[in-house]
Amino acid sequence: MKSVVIGAHLRREDVEPIAETLPVGELFLSAVSIANDRPLGDRDLLIEVAGIRGQLLDRATFIAIRYGLAVRDEHEAAIKCIGFVPQWRKLLDAHREEVEMTLKAAASAPPARPDRHDFASGGQYLRALHEASRAVDVDPQFKTGIERTLVPLATEHRWLHRDTTSIELAMLVRRRDLETVRTAGEKLRRDFPKIPFLLSGPWPLEVFANDHQQ
Amino acid sequence: MPDETQEITLLETLDHLLDRGVVIAGEATISIGDVDLLYLGLNVVLANVDAMRRTGQK
Repeated sequence: MKSVVIGAHLRREDVEPIAETLPVGELFLSAVSIANDRPLGDRDLLIEVAGIRGQLLDRATFIAIRYGLAVRDEHEAAIKCIGFVPQWRKLLDAHREEVEMTLKAAASAPPARPDRHDFASGGQYLRALHEASRAVDVDPQFKTGIERTLVPLATEHRWLHRDTTSIELAMLVRRRDLETVRTAGEKLRRDFPKIPFLLSGPWPLEVFANDHQQ
Repeated sequence: MPDETQEITLLETLDHLLDRGVVIAGEATISIGDVDLLYLGLNVVLANVDAMRRTGQK
């Protein structure tokens, strides 16, 4: 058997009995046990892990570990994760009452995606792709609307440029403000009916966990 | 349209599972169609497994 790691948690009771617990230092990793020969790309496994992730978040805020980390036992989990524990502990203490919400919106005028064949090297192409992604923005009035309605409800926020067709806002939100954020999202939809966007969450600490890691 | 909403929710959930969170060290082989893709938990690496193996043998 092997364990697919889901997240890092402050307390054992934040994990059990929803998932398997792997103690690492003063924290606890949540995980799901699977047969050694079961591929991590198994569709049913992905859906199962996603469901468990949601149940764990209902219990308590945790740090999301990107899907793909599988360990044989606690010892291997400790070797791979012990270096992160002090920083994770600080993050979990600081944000235990918060979760992430994200808003994805289509770019107002998407820049042309660079053509790989126009570049002499893969490096030049990746840099051009990065620059094109950075240039993406949403309708200015819509962005102002977001900054008036949603951003004030967040304790921290960050605009993310992931590709050339959309932009994303990641927010840290107090759990008690989740409904207020959803209501603000509905108002935004009424105010800007022609702009497609997706407000989703709550999510565990994902974007902000990575920020602090770097 | 509940079906469409459910589909969007599933896609969004899987996007967060596969593309967010702290990267430790891991990999998964995910099949799309008949092509195995090696996913390394890093946005920049998504390659055909055969190509990765050939590269590794050089």
